[in-house]
Amino acid sequence: MTAENPRFDVVRHAPRAGQVVLAPASTELVPSRQVRTLYRLSDPELSELSLDEFLDELLVRVQDALAVDTVAILLVDDETQQLVARAAKGIEEEVQRGVRIPIGQGFAGRIAAERVAIFIADVDHADILNPILREKGIRSLLGVPLIVEGGLIGVLHVGSLRPRTFGDRDLAVLQVAAARAAPGIERARLFTALEHEHRGAMLLQRSLLPKRLIDVASVDTAARYLPASDEVGGDWYDVFELPRGRLGIAIGDVVGHGLSAATLMGQLRTALHAYAVEDHGPARTLELVDRFVQTMPDYAMATAAYGVLDPDTGSLCVASAGHLPPIIVGDGVARVLDVPPAAPLGAFPYGGCQQHQASLSPGETLLLYTDGLLERPGVPLNTSIEELREIVSGAGSAEAVCEVAIARLVPARGPRDDVAVVAMQNRRVPVELSMRLAADPRVLGDVRHALRRWLRERGADPKAITEITLAVNEACTNAIEHAYSPGPAEFELRATARDGQVTIVVSDVGRWRPPRGSHRGRGLAIIDAAMDEVQVDSTARGTDIVMRRRV
Amino acid sequence: MSVALADVQFSRQGQAVIARMTGEIDLSNAGNIAGAIIDAMPNASLTLVLDLSAVDYLDSAGISLIYQLRESLRTRSQTLRLVVPSNSPASDALRLAGVLRHIETIETVAAALHNIG
Repeated sequence: MTAENPRFDVVRHAPRAGQVVLAPASTELVPSRQVRTLYRLSDPELSELSLDEFLDELLVRVQDALAVDTVAILLVDDETQQLVARAAKGIEEEVQRGVRIPIGQGFAGRIAAERVAIFIADVDHADILNPILREKGIRSLLGVPLIVEGGLIGVLHVGSLRPRTFGDRDLAVLQVAAARAAPGIERARLFTALEHEHRGAMLLQRSLLPKRLIDVASVDTAARYLPASDEVGGDWYDVFELPRGRLGIAIGDVVGHGLSAATLMGQLRTALHAYAVEDHGPARTLELVDRFVQTMPDYAMATAAYGVLDPDTGSLCVASAGHLPPIIVGDGVARVLDVPPAAPLGAFPYGGCQQHQASLSPGETLLLYTDGLLERPGVPLNTSIEELREIVSGAGSAEAVCEVAIARLVPARGPRDDVAVVAMQNRRVPVELSMRLAADPRVLGDVRHALRRWLRERGADPKAITEITLAVNEACTNAIEHAYSPGPAEFELRATARDGQVTIVVSDVGRWRPPRGSHRGRGLAIIDAAMDEVQVDSTARGTDIVMRRRV
Repeated sequence: MSVALADVQFSRQGQAVIARMTGEIDLSNAGNIAGAIIDAMPNASLTLVLDLSAVDYLDSAGISLIYQLRESLRTRSQTLRLVVPSNSPASDALRLAGVLRHIETIETVAAALHNIG
């Protein structure tokens, strides 16, 4: 052990082999060009760099100033209280292999634990933990702690492949580098962590919103989600199918921002959907979601609105837990729905969420939105809601309602708070119904809903609607069961009304097969019993079943 | 992503299994529903009460399901009791298909459970 060098002030003898603990350097530095580059590590222009970019800059400048073979930076991992190799030059393996040194052990670990500079003259005879240092043939090492406002953030060390006695001036240079770089590292690290969380939250938010909206014949839907310019929030929307052809539409806003708000948003959206498909109805669904929020380990609060539309009848039932009132747009006018607002979800144990019974006639559009859309300092909420009502009143489709609301109310630079809007239009019923359908039993439910809507618009009474729907369903079943053609098979349905009589034609591409077995026989019996007139036309391209009935 | 058209809930009362169907029954699901009901019927049970009172829609495929169930039960010496209230959607289909006068239907589950061991 020959490391005791008379040129250093030894503050105390190292109890470990080969390590010399040094007193802070007292040398007055002559500001060479290289040293000046180290002073400039705290220049404001470097504050824009990411952590990796900043560390690279530090490595280059230190290597240049000290003419060393290796430079390495290890940063404290707060969770494990270990030093993690974060950037290196000459010993890149440190970073690639993810070297971790427990604080207190080995060369870097001791620098961190005791916050002292340490010099190792001969690696071969010293207590070092990291085998890479020996593998690379490093002979001498000098390291200093990185400290910001009294807190240790890491270790900076340099190495030489030839035996080298790092002198007082070398230590002074390294100390300048460490002192100037440490705040920059900390700032870049915080910035990167925030960036990371922001990006993570953004990704999460995106992944938790519906990938695409439902595609059903009875309604048109549209939605927009705009993240806030700086921080992700907890807004969500959802549109889903319910039993018996009805549709659910939901919107919500979790109080707070960042990853935790986005995560809670995902949980609430899932919970609401899960209760909704159990057909509890809007008020009960929100009560159940509230009960779920009450069980969350962390304080959580959110507003939400949930509506159920039966497109067949236009019946719309909406409930609100502290959420902004829905707006219904139709024929150049818009009205604000007077939904009795219950307390927000998670606010306090509550019950008695009331639901509001409204109607959404064919051609009308329901709009739900979050408060990010209306947020303007100094403007009362009611004024903003009135303005929104005015703005969307001329929009003729779900898409147009969303578009005009965002275009007129969200500033070009992006919203201050995140914004979600979702709209659902009860589709207009065409005078003539024309559907081209896959020969697949799963289309039958949609056919029945479309037909019932059309028949109701044509003035058919409930009995006629029931019976005609049964008959047309049987004709479609027949087309599906007998469909044969290369490629995906299809059939067509056309419905027209004239002089109080409806005519419905189901056309397939196959030849009419006389019904076989009692099953098909019953289907034909239903058609015969339900309709006034039934006719089977076989043509070269397929078979038409023509059914007529007075309504 | 679409919602299941129909659902079946099972319960037992004495020797009877009650299968309560909800939703819509058509060609897309009748086969699966028949299978599910047969699977849920233990050998020890004597009677299946098929409750169609909460069914929103039933077509010829659903009617075939009833016949198929009755046949399967008969081979196991079990019986089917069919609950179809008058003026229910299920009764509309049975009436139009002309089978209402050929099969016995019962107004309520309570009546169907009457006199079962």
